[in-house]
Amino acid sequence: MRVSISIGITLGAVLLIAFIGLSVMAGSPKDAVYMVRYALPHMHRGNLKVGDSAPDAKLFALNGSDTFHIRERSNGKPLVLVFGSFT
Amino acid sequence: MGDIIQLFDDYQEHADFLTIYVREAHPTDEWQMKSNVKDDVCYAQPRNLSDRLAIASDFIERFQYPVPFGVDGMDNAANEAYAAWPERLYILDEGGKVAYRGGNGPFHYDPKEVRAWLAARYGEVKHPEGKPGANPQPAEKKS
Repeated sequence: MRVSISIGITLGAVLLIAFIGLSVMAGSPKDAVYMVRYALPHMHRGNLKVGDSAPDAKLFALNGSDTFHIRERSNGKPLVLVFGSFT
Repeated sequence: MGDIIQLFDDYQEHADFLTIYVREAHPTDEWQMKSNVKDDVCYAQPRNLSDRLAIASDFIERFQYPVPFGVDGMDNAANEAYAAWPERLYILDEGGKVAYRGGNGPFHYDPKEVRAWLAARYGEVKHPEGKPGANPQPAEKKS
């Protein structure tokens, strides 16, 4: 019984400390909740490593009708890829 | 943003650049940031390609963004292939292999690492302090 209570208190303390840390990192407790709900599910380190063959994907031009592939944009020079969004 | 434009200006003769527009990081219907409200960058997460294209067009117009540009499809194929969200930098070499893999933004997104890679190969480009255009400000948003 005592062991169970100790484990529960320890787990609770760890979770509380983690939440406080996340809140500091995100900006506020509300931001921490949103980070867990909206950001973490989409954030992955991925498996690509330096030296791997670069994956390709189809992209759209701003007119929405023209398409091209990432690798088509490398014209015998290194290709710098900048991923991001407005918000 | 300013760092990327400056990199493009400095090294576009030596390297190709491609910006890939992916799903929004802080839309109004998810984790909206106060800074985006202050800057009037308020968009819901696009549910179709035309919405994503419209926001991307606003971005280019607002910042007069000069770097070549492509938009990820609604299958988020580029984002998935490169684990790119919310922002990330890569360099592919001439043979199509990954030569540099940056960390996930915002905490590990570092244009200085890309600059160092390019500088090691093509030489450093120095800027006098206070050079105009080094940190471009957004253009006035049209009402």
